Amino acid sequence: MKRIIDSLDDLGRFSEPALLIMISLADGPKHGYAMTQDIEQVSGQKLGPGTLYGAIARLEEREWIEALPAEDRRRPYKLTGAGTKVLKARLESLRAMARIGNARLAEL
Amino acid sequence: MTARQLLHLYPRAWRERYGEEFVETIGARPLNAQQAIDIVGGAIDAWITFKSATTRLRTPGGGEVMTQQWKAICATSGVRYTKRDALISAGVMIAASFLLVAAGIYARRTGRLELGEALVSVSFPIALTVALPFAILKGQPKTAQVASVVFSTLILIIATWIATKI
Repeated sequence: MKRIIDSLDDLGRFSEPALLIMISLADGPKHGYAMTQDIEQVSGQKLGPGTLYGAIARLEEREWIEALPAEDRRRPYKLTGAGTKVLKARLESLRAMARIGNARLAEL
Repeated sequence: MTARQLLHLYPRAWRERYGEEFVETIGARPLNAQQAIDIVGGAIDAWITFKSATTRLRTPGGGEVMTQQWKAICATSGVRYTKRDALISAGVMIAASFLLVAAGIYARRTGRLELGEALVSVSFPIALTVALPFAILKGQPKTAQVASVVFSTLILIIATWIATKI
């Protein structure tokens, strides 16, 4: 599990955009524009096109997402099995961190 | 300025893979400054990190990286980069390094300390430049190879000469 979490951290400044993309794809395939809309709605962050496709290229290279056949000029992406595992591990890690943080805040 | 115009900043392989959907994501409307900066940053990142499916390397470990990159570049430009080429370029690089270091040591011993220091400092970059015709410049026209080597070497010599004068 540690190795998987480290792999997502290896994405450097693309780590957070990649996480947001994976969360966006968790409820089904989406193309780039739909992802940016969904991410903005969920997190309040508007990913720029350079950042979005920088993260998509990295996720695709690691086979955590995969491209589906293009619809018109838009190509949807879906989360792969490996990507789902990485996302679950990262969300579990965040949940554990939030639990610890909240517990420490409660002690104040 | 539109996304389609800035798309030309990206490597060709990247454009072929993501270009249409990238433009479609933004549409034909003019970009704001934040989007334009993000796209330029993305293009720089793509030139540094993007590997197309055909050039993606499975074993980028340790000292093999440079050779693998040379192979990948030569493969995509239609030139076959063989093991023989790798050995020749390595041999040329090592021999040129030794020659320049030896010249530097000789210069120092004969009292020309600045020249000796400069020769030793540029020995590796110049040796690397001299080996380029057998690596990433393989298959290019002879004039282009000679011009690249001479021009790069001159820049290195001038930069080093200036550095010794400061």
